Amino acid sequence: MVKLDRINLSNDGLTKFFSPIEARIMQVLWENEELTTPEITEKTDIPLSSVAGTLDRLVKAGFATRKLDKGGNKVRYLYSATESMDNTANTITRKVLDSLVDTFGKVAIENFHTYHDRK
Amino acid sequence: MFSIRNEVECYVSCINDSSLLPLIGISLLLALLMFVIYFRTDRPMSRLLSLAGSQLLIISAIATVVHAMQCSRMLSIEIYLGYVAFSTAIILFLPRVYYRILIKRYDARPISEIMDWPEGFVNYLGTTATIYYYDSAIPRAFASGKAIFLSLGLLELVEKTELEAIIAHEIWHIRHNNSTPILRQLAVMSFSKNKSEDELEKLADMFAEKIVNKSALESARAKIS
Repeated sequence: MVKLDRINLSNDGLTKFFSPIEARIMQVLWENEELTTPEITEKTDIPLSSVAGTLDRLVKAGFATRKLDKGGNKVRYLYSATESMDNTANTITRKVLDSLVDTFGKVAIENFHTYHDRK
Repeated sequence: MFSIRNEVECYVSCINDSSLLPLIGISLLLALLMFVIYFRTDRPMSRLLSLAGSQLLIISAIATVVHAMQCSRMLSIEIYLGYVAFSTAIILFLPRVYYRILIKRYDARPISEIMDWPEGFVNYLGTTATIYYYDSAIPRAFASGKAIFLSLGLLELVEKTELEAIIAHEIWHIRHNNSTPILRQLAVMSFSKNKSEDELEKLADMFAEKIVNKSALESARAKIS
């Protein structure tokens, strides 16, 4: 639900941090510059009824950005990813590390060192 | 001579002496609990019951106070009448100003900022109503008071004739809001569904069909649901 406080370690890939629909939408947004709503439903192959609410959530959570495109008597949303995939990965990593240090303090930091040395 | 200070003093001493204070406290606490349930629950039936329950508990608390008042009943009656006047005003008044709360909640903007024709279409139908749009990808349209709300998700999804059908549908609701019977108003106030809602939707659809056409209405419906 685009909430980093609900991380699911047993899931695969991005679905650890996003719901499956959110992950697919973000993937499509990272791969493209700007997308309209019909383009998103087409590329993700998810019906509008599921995409619409998810897009609202992604925008509210700050992962996606949308602007209004007014052409004549027709309006449409143009969606893009707020940050590149790398930057988003950065944000998520930092939040997870922060919460680990917050909870376990020294133990967490010692583990980071062990992890770092092993690499 | 009537003095509010004497009344209050008498009030406090009467209630303290009568040993009914715990009963009053429990009633008010339960009423508060009912209000909390009312605001939290999603089931229409529990909404209606909790609202009615909280009102009855408050009235029973007031009745207990009146019973406890041996020296003067004036103030209790005044408080009770004040409460009745206040709730009645809210029941009658809130539906007429509720759209302002909605405008704030949805951060809605007048549609004339992004589209020219919808306001003209409303005028053409001979109704005074303002159309607002709000930022959401979920296609939705609804009316409250003299305002129609359309989500941007709806605006980007439907064609002009389909949008006309949707606006006509909402206009029908606005026209028939003023003649809402008090019971229906209460059902709306407590956010509980009443059975004739489907019937209202059908009538609104019939109006939209007449103003625009059937195929536009049907394709709009297919797109939204």
